[in-house]
Amino acid sequence: MSTESREHLSCLMDGEISRETGRFLVRRLGADEELSATWARYHLVRDCLRHQEGGFASVGLSSRVRQIIEEDASGRPDGARAVAWLKPAVGLAVAASVALLAIVAVGPGGQRLPAPGDSPAVEAVAESFTSPQALTPPPVSQQASLAGKSARDNRMNAYLLRHYQATGSTGGKGFVTFVPIVVRASTVETRDGERTDGASPEDNPDESTNR
Amino acid sequence: MMVSQATRSLLAVVYLLWAGFAVAGSDEDPAEWLERMSTAMSQMSYQGTFVYVQGDDVVTMRITHVAGETGVRERMVSVSGVPREVIRDSSGVRWVLGDDRSVLQDQGFNRTFFPQLPLDQQGQAQRSYAMKLGGVGRVAGQSVRNLTILPRDQYRYGYSLWLEEHSAMLLKWELIDHRQKPLAKLMFTDIRMGAEVDRNELQSSSELKKFKTVESSLPAGRGMASSQPRWRPSRLPPGFELTAHRFFGQQQDSMFEHLVYSDGLTAVSVYVETAAAGEQQPSNLSRMGTTHAFSTTGDGVAITVIGDVPSITVKLIGETVSSVTK
Repeated sequence: MSTESREHLSCLMDGEISRETGRFLVRRLGADEELSATWARYHLVRDCLRHQEGGFASVGLSSRVRQIIEEDASGRPDGARAVAWLKPAVGLAVAASVALLAIVAVGPGGQRLPAPGDSPAVEAVAESFTSPQALTPPPVSQQASLAGKSARDNRMNAYLLRHYQATGSTGGKGFVTFVPIVVRASTVETRDGERTDGASPEDNPDESTNR
Repeated sequence: MMVSQATRSLLAVVYLLWAGFAVAGSDEDPAEWLERMSTAMSQMSYQGTFVYVQGDDVVTMRITHVAGETGVRERMVSVSGVPREVIRDSSGVRWVLGDDRSVLQDQGFNRTFFPQLPLDQQGQAQRSYAMKLGGVGRVAGQSVRNLTILPRDQYRYGYSLWLEEHSAMLLKWELIDHRQKPLAKLMFTDIRMGAEVDRNELQSSSELKKFKTVESSLPAGRGMASSQPRWRPSRLPPGFELTAHRFFGQQQDSMFEHLVYSDGLTAVSVYVETAAAGEQQPSNLSRMGTTHAFSTTGDGVAITVIGDVPSITVKLIGETVSSVTK
């Protein structure tokens, strides 16, 4: 399998792939066993790094699903014709199910999977953490670990909590400031054109002032 | 000099009329109501159940807020849906995430880290919002007065507030956009105040003790408040001004900088910190409820802008953050 294919897989996991390339890759995942095995292996590696072994998409999942469907179909009298007709759809369904598992597992704040040459240490974030109270060691925020959350989610949550504390008195809103973090546990990604806040894309941002 | 009975009566009537007008005047001043609301929300003791609605989310919550000699203690807990809560007291804030069975706490943060941000300093908010007192009504069995705060542009939200007539305690809150479209709503269904508050509700459930506690990863302590930030946005929406700033570390090495910009009624945090080795991520917009966040990396730093403002505002600010030495 080419390096390019691996890179595309990695991008697909990160959700950083164009729609067209993503569709093409999902079609290939249904037909290319090596590619789909690599895809499953990537997830397994990441799960192991997150101490969630066996959570999903284990190696061989796609082939097992395919095997079960084929066995089931071959037991029927007119199975051969049905299997022939179903094969492309089965392939697509297998790929889609693997892709869906990946999307559910990666979530909105998913991390990039290490490339084959990367050191696993880069991804190992589930370490206990003691808050730095002094200026040493260097105060770049380390990643506190909350169960089941990516480092990016954790960092965002720490920022949110600090923001609410620092600005909670603004406008005299009191406890209302903290309501969003009781409603939800982490941020969800939004696309640029997807407004949820009343500001429409045609609103002109050029009215801002220079500082 | 002898003053006749008639003159004394006349003076008393004039004084009462003057006092009456003065009281009526303050009763009709939206800024005064806002100030009273802020005082009531922080300094009164209250307890109640409220419903929060935003999009498809409808969550019932319980708030217990006790102001005493040892400061404020507050516990807000979700009654419906996933069990989550926020506990605030003099030792900091704890965010209980029932779905993860974990508690994120930021106890290093206190008021020495940031000063109390003043409410509407020198009428700053009036430049960005139009405030208007409205009619009366009833919420949770209490008489309320409506106060509408409309944003003058699309860079901030507006509010429609229903305040208890005597104390100005907030009983209903509605977040609106610059076109007055409702975005989120919060309304008390019952409320108790003062001596009626049951302080036992400040205690978390025993289940909480089994949760994993994680301290916030952000630097704490006094840090350095310099007059000149190392990084800052080159463009800001109208009305926003730098109101607080803390810097940790060395410019050439690892650093963490937190800047707070406010328009008098809402605030935006700008975080700039040294990016992890090899960290490079595309610009990203995310939200939690009506709080928006914009994050990006570049020039060796990770920039995150968070605010209770529309996405257009955090994006505008985040895209123009750069080093002042450039």
